Amino acid sequence: MDNAVLEWRNVVKKRDRMVLGPLDLKLYEHYITALIGRNGSGKSTLMKLAVQLVRPDEGEVIWFGRPYPGGLPADVRAEIAYVPENFAAEENGIKMDDAADFRASWYPRWDWQRYEELLRRFDVPGGKKLNKLSKGQRRKFEIAAALATRPKLLLLDEPSSGLDPFAWKTMMDEIRRCVDEDGATVLMSTHIVEEVRRMADYLVLVDKGKSLGMLEKDALLERGREIWISRDDELLEELPGIVESSIESEGMVRFVTLDYAGTAALLDEVGVKPIRVRALELDEVMEHWMNGGLSPV
Amino acid sequence: MRIPVQINESSAEPLYHQIETQLRSLIVTGQVAEGTLLPSIREFAADLKCSVITIRRVYQDLENEGLLRTRQGTGTFVTKVDTDDREAYKKQIVQDAVRELIDTARSVGYTGDELRSLLDETLREENRK
Repeated sequence: MDNAVLEWRNVVKKRDRMVLGPLDLKLYEHYITALIGRNGSGKSTLMKLAVQLVRPDEGEVIWFGRPYPGGLPADVRAEIAYVPENFAAEENGIKMDDAADFRASWYPRWDWQRYEELLRRFDVPGGKKLNKLSKGQRRKFEIAAALATRPKLLLLDEPSSGLDPFAWKTMMDEIRRCVDEDGATVLMSTHIVEEVRRMADYLVLVDKGKSLGMLEKDALLERGREIWISRDDELLEELPGIVESSIESEGMVRFVTLDYAGTAALLDEVGVKPIRVRALELDEVMEHWMNGGLSPV
Repeated sequence: MRIPVQINESSAEPLYHQIETQLRSLIVTGQVAEGTLLPSIREFAADLKCSVITIRRVYQDLENEGLLRTRQGTGTFVTKVDTDDREAYKKQIVQDAVRELIDTARSVGYTGDELRSLLDETLREENRK
């Protein structure tokens, strides 16, 4: 693959209730990667490492090909926009536009026009103090401010939580535009399957602080199929990637495979034509992945 | 522009193949005309809810077949399809459908003669409509 924009190399970070890592992960340029996993699996820590809000206990993080153990220089930090899951309280009493002013001074590519356009599209009333905004409005402000920096690397920690469906759609369009027009690379953590479906090129699954690997979304979807065939116990034994099977009637068996290519080849070879084939939904494949049924290729 | 490609989620056919087949057919039949600027890879991917990797592969394949051309900085365009290709393609779509029909007929034990007479009968019925 192409250039790695961000890399976690052999990273370990001990947190209160869990240990993240050792973990290796790379984000490739101009792609949108969805970070998925249960609550508390380490997704937010992974992101915080990427903006040095936390430092690794072991290993290193590499930005645009370089580690910055002495701290991210302002010009590198200015290439990165981060929308955290929970917002810092220190800006609370500040008015929205003053907060934007402050950020504009840190980001040389700051785009006022885009900022204002986004607030308008998100329907956030101007002039309010940040702590007077509703949860959803605050998030809209943060997303607008992040996109206004025209980042090369965009990190979003559950950006859609609290957003109404219209703002959600706007957000997805704008993130895509950020990738298409500005050449950004995006990592977004999410629990929303539909968001992964609509946005992601790659998926990274973390579970209990460990990465279960990175897979291309469509390749992942190609792998899972539910298939009905005439009952043939011997054949069923030989089929690859079976994670579930049951005899549905005297003469018919149903199974789920996570190696559809291998299964289809074998069925074809022995001349068995499936009665029905159904592609698994993304959430179903993700669940099998989580349960260890899938190894990354 | 929005390209009318419909993904069949429960099809066994790989995603890129479904998209490629439909886009090729739209181009060869002239429904998407010569010179048309196709959506960007990211736009098309969003539209179909697939990854840019899949769309890139489709554009690349069709470019290799000479149906598309990418101009740096402007985008991907539909090129000219010649008449022979168009006729050959039409024949191929129908032939594929016929193969499908033969498969179905065989799976329920129809002989060639039975299939042929059923086909004749159905054609006559259709023509009467």
